[in-house]
Amino acid sequence: MRDVAGLRLTFHLAGINNQNFLMRDEQTGSFWQQISGLAVSGPLKGQQLTLVLSDELTLATWKAEQPQGTILDDIPKYAKQYAKKDWDVRMKKVATVIDFPERGMKARDLMLGVRAFGVSRAYSYEQVIKEKLIADRVGGEPVILVVGMDGESVRMFRNRAPDVEGVSDFYRLDTNHAAALMMDSKTGSEWNFQGCAVSGKAQGVCLQQIPVLKDYWFDWRNYNPKTTIFEAKK
Amino acid sequence: MRLTIRILLISLAVSLFCVLYPIYVIRPFRAQGVRELQVALAVSQYRPVITLISACVALLALAGYWQLRESPRRRIIASAGAVLAVALAVMARVNVYELMFHPIEHSSFTAASQTKLEKDEKVIAVLVNGEARAYPIRSMSYHHLINDTVGSRAIVATY
Repeated sequence: MRDVAGLRLTFHLAGINNQNFLMRDEQTGSFWQQISGLAVSGPLKGQQLTLVLSDELTLATWKAEQPQGTILDDIPKYAKQYAKKDWDVRMKKVATVIDFPERGMKARDLMLGVRAFGVSRAYSYEQVIKEKLIADRVGGEPVILVVGMDGESVRMFRNRAPDVEGVSDFYRLDTNHAAALMMDSKTGSEWNFQGCAVSGKAQGVCLQQIPVLKDYWFDWRNYNPKTTIFEAKK
Repeated sequence: MRLTIRILLISLAVSLFCVLYPIYVIRPFRAQGVRELQVALAVSQYRPVITLISACVALLALAGYWQLRESPRRRIIASAGAVLAVALAVMARVNVYELMFHPIEHSSFTAASQTKLEKDEKVIAVLVNGEARAYPIRSMSYHHLINDTVGSRAIVATY
């Protein structure tokens, strides 16, 4: 959201801070950190932009979910300079200026980062894609991470359904049926990638989505120094 | 050294610092310390005014120097200094990042069913007040941000 402190701000790209962009608003000239939405300098220093829940999806998944949606057009003048599809993989070759070589992590490892329930936690993107469904706890809260039918898009949900007592075990269905990709043990319902039960006792119930950010390890760790890392149970 | 030349040199030095220090600190592929970043951003904040004053002072100093009837060579060097101070005042108003990554000035949108992009292109998707919008990563990783209005809420999408 770009309404803050009674102002509607217009942003410009204005700098870089350890390879995370800085934005500047036209109205006050304040500088804002891209990853956090926090004003780090200028008259609005300390103000925080409200995060809008967003998903990183393949076009196919998004179109299936939002047939009424609209998509930003290329700006023809610059289209030749646009990135190839595997931009984030190509960027892995680019050197970083900071590094946190702890816990076996490499600077450009792709992570899914979550800040919720008072803590920050990171998951290896590669591992999530491989496992397709991960049940975990974030700050004591049960959550699930699930990979979409396209094998690339990932969402996190709070594993507490309204009107369903306690925590349910979720299983990834081995199906190419786009309407349902997981099932839970407690109600035997089938759930789709939007976190909503499409059949069974829980039909119509939707799980609360929790925002996750796909980011490189060095950037995630820089802004979340206390982050924990998910490790698969052996 | 003449007083007017000293004043000219000082204003030129101030302008040079205002323009070059933020470029030096906030350049890509360099680690930014917390303190130096704060200073560089504060300099960026005030430099349009500082370099303007400094250019005016440099021009006044040049006018003063001109009256002293020094040799033509010295006059030319002093004039070049004042011109540089003016040029720096202009440069202080240029956003280098928008020269590197051109901003989206006029955005247009296509219905999901009409888009010609391939289905495995990645998008950043939002749903605000029931209105769904997607921003392809192919263009967002170039422009890096867009000021938009979705579901009648003003948002900025950034990648």
